[in-house]
Amino acid sequence: MMSPQAKRQENKILILATETCAYPGADSVGQTHSSYPANTYILRVRAPVLFPESFYIDCFKKGISGIIVMSCGEECPYEGAYKAMAKRLDSVYKKMKAMKLDLKRLRLTAICTVCNRAFLNEVKQMDQLVQELGPPQLMA
Amino acid sequence: MSEMSSDKTTKTDRVGVYICYCGGNISDHVDVEAVRNRVEKMPGVAVARTEMFMCSDPGQEMIIEDLKSGKIDRVVVASCAPSLHETTFRDAIKRAGSNPFIYEHANIREQVSWVHHGDTATNKATVLIASATAKAKRLKPLDPIRVEAKKHTTIIGGGVAGIKTALDIAQTGIEVTLIEKSGILGGQLNHLDRLAPSGEKASDILQEFLDQIVNYKNITIHTNCIIENVTGYVGNFRLDVVTKSDNKKFNIDTGAIVMATGSVSYTPYDGEYGFGRHEQVIVLKDLIHILKENKSSGSVLEVNGKPIKNMVMIHCVGSRQIPGIHKPKENGKLNEYCSRTCCAAMLNASNQIRENFPGTGIYEMYRDIRTYGRGQEALYTQASKNKVVFMRYEADALPEITPSPLPDYPLQVKIKDSLTFNEEMDVPVDLVVLATGIEPDDVSGLASMMKLPIGTDQFLLEVHPKLRPVEFPITGVFLAGTCQAPMDAGEACNAAGAAAVKASALLRKGYIELDPFVAQVDIDKCQGHGACVEACLKEGALELIETTIEGKIHKKARVTAALCLGCGACAAVCPEKAIDINGWALKQYEDMVDAIVSDGFAV
Repeated sequence: MMSPQAKRQENKILILATETCAYPGADSVGQTHSSYPANTYILRVRAPVLFPESFYIDCFKKGISGIIVMSCGEECPYEGAYKAMAKRLDSVYKKMKAMKLDLKRLRLTAICTVCNRAFLNEVKQMDQLVQELGPPQLMA
Repeated sequence: MSEMSSDKTTKTDRVGVYICYCGGNISDHVDVEAVRNRVEKMPGVAVARTEMFMCSDPGQEMIIEDLKSGKIDRVVVASCAPSLHETTFRDAIKRAGSNPFIYEHANIREQVSWVHHGDTATNKATVLIASATAKAKRLKPLDPIRVEAKKHTTIIGGGVAGIKTALDIAQTGIEVTLIEKSGILGGQLNHLDRLAPSGEKASDILQEFLDQIVNYKNITIHTNCIIENVTGYVGNFRLDVVTKSDNKKFNIDTGAIVMATGSVSYTPYDGEYGFGRHEQVIVLKDLIHILKENKSSGSVLEVNGKPIKNMVMIHCVGSRQIPGIHKPKENGKLNEYCSRTCCAAMLNASNQIRENFPGTGIYEMYRDIRTYGRGQEALYTQASKNKVVFMRYEADALPEITPSPLPDYPLQVKIKDSLTFNEEMDVPVDLVVLATGIEPDDVSGLASMMKLPIGTDQFLLEVHPKLRPVEFPITGVFLAGTCQAPMDAGEACNAAGAAAVKASALLRKGYIELDPFVAQVDIDKCQGHGACVEACLKEGALELIETTIEGKIHKKARVTAALCLGCGACAAVCPEKAIDINGWALKQYEDMVDAIVSDGFAV
């Protein structure tokens, strides 16, 4: 039987964090030793515009419970990338809707290098959500 | 300078994993030896070792020995944040005679041991290392992209930042062209008198700079010029320039560009604090001009022949604007930032007036006094000694300017003074001075042409305010001065010095080695749909070319590596997955997710 800790770990949250803003932002949270749920897995990305719609859907199919795209927002160093990515996420939401996936499982937000409170808040909210919803029931 | 390849990414099974104790920073919360035991059993991991400090010489030597002996051909170090030691370990790999790009980092301090504890931390560290290993298995040796570079820099903007950048670059022997849209150099310095806090004359500083500039034969200056177009890439930019007077066109071929396009002073809207409706309401720039030209020697300041018995200085006009309180501009924007320089400039002017014209009384009405720089707080203390009266207003109760009922004064200023428990007072005045803030000069056309990011505050936006403060993401383009943010002349010169060093270091060898993290096309998979070209954010970075394969003409995508931003917008849209980013490939991310969902077992 799984321990409560192990059970909690089933609800994995993937965080796509931009290397110039959100990833150093997550490091900044670490520097203050502020604890947050451990079911969060941060991937350092140059710009989340790299990921096609299928990447997000496949993540849910593989069992990822929630995805937070932590971007640089409008202050993205790659001119036009944020807009293109935000547009793509709209299509992902449409697909999620068709698949009856709760749209709140995918969240786009902007996190700066010192946005500690915002980072913790985003993680806390997504964790509450995935604990309520559980892993997505999709066939890989 | 184009990248097209038929290399297939193959997976290696000789990954070396090195886990750091960080002197207890990691090992106090993560059972490092338990992680090592789990990691060494993961498929593809050839060795897994631990060390008290991986960044120490013994730690680095461990990696070097394993590489040299051929035990491993990829490296994962699990330690602190990559911003601290990624370069350290890449250099160690280089010293072993290997390619530095066969390296991946697992962040198990800032993102594990400092935020999680006990078994949870140990488990998460294991998964992050598994994920890094999954990525490392698909890493391939990469070569920096080498481009020939013209040893020439173009500075756009001839204010103090532009001049200082030009001088500092010219000193290194690199050719410089300075382009100014107006007829004179000096920018906003031409409108200033004595600079805070030192009291030096702006004209003296400017003259000193101009005297230096004429001594450099490698500086060419073009005034009254407009830039019509910018093409090319780092080391090889081309600017199309046109003269305003006779519409004469010419080109400048240059290796790097520094944006020093400066700022303008905020213009209050009609009626803002009575501006435009009462001739006695002026802006700080006008007051500085009056002080500069003033020849009177009486005890009372005179403006347009009229004695100023009392005057009010209102701070934060066009700065720190609040939605719902301040009126947005036509484009809907508010200046929500602090313009930083106005407080010191106001106090400087007040001190000058009180010390030279003691018969003129001054009331400074402020929201907050921000004399942040060295020597600036002394201006505030001095103003207090000079009996300047300070009154504080809140943003939701702005001072109001109305005609005065008193015959001796044309205007009165009504204020709710929070320093005296919100007492309402009417101050009769002869003159009202508005501390108008700084706004960036409108270079949206140029920024759009060069794909330069603009922040929400409308200033040009650097890559990172601390890590890369004078660089744009477009390699070879830098920024300096008040086009970036409100700064005083000293700060603009600091930024100019930094931009000059960056540009000089970039061009000094005559060639540039760029990060190899750019798009690469798999020519066998590419079907020539062109979706990637459409999605590309940087004009010219991707194009479709015709190529002959086995006697047939095919369309294939081609990357110009020096122009590619490496953002990956192209990789997301290719139906064949025929284009990806070297070192940050989509396939690598998919493998990382697999490792995460399987708690490391899918590695």
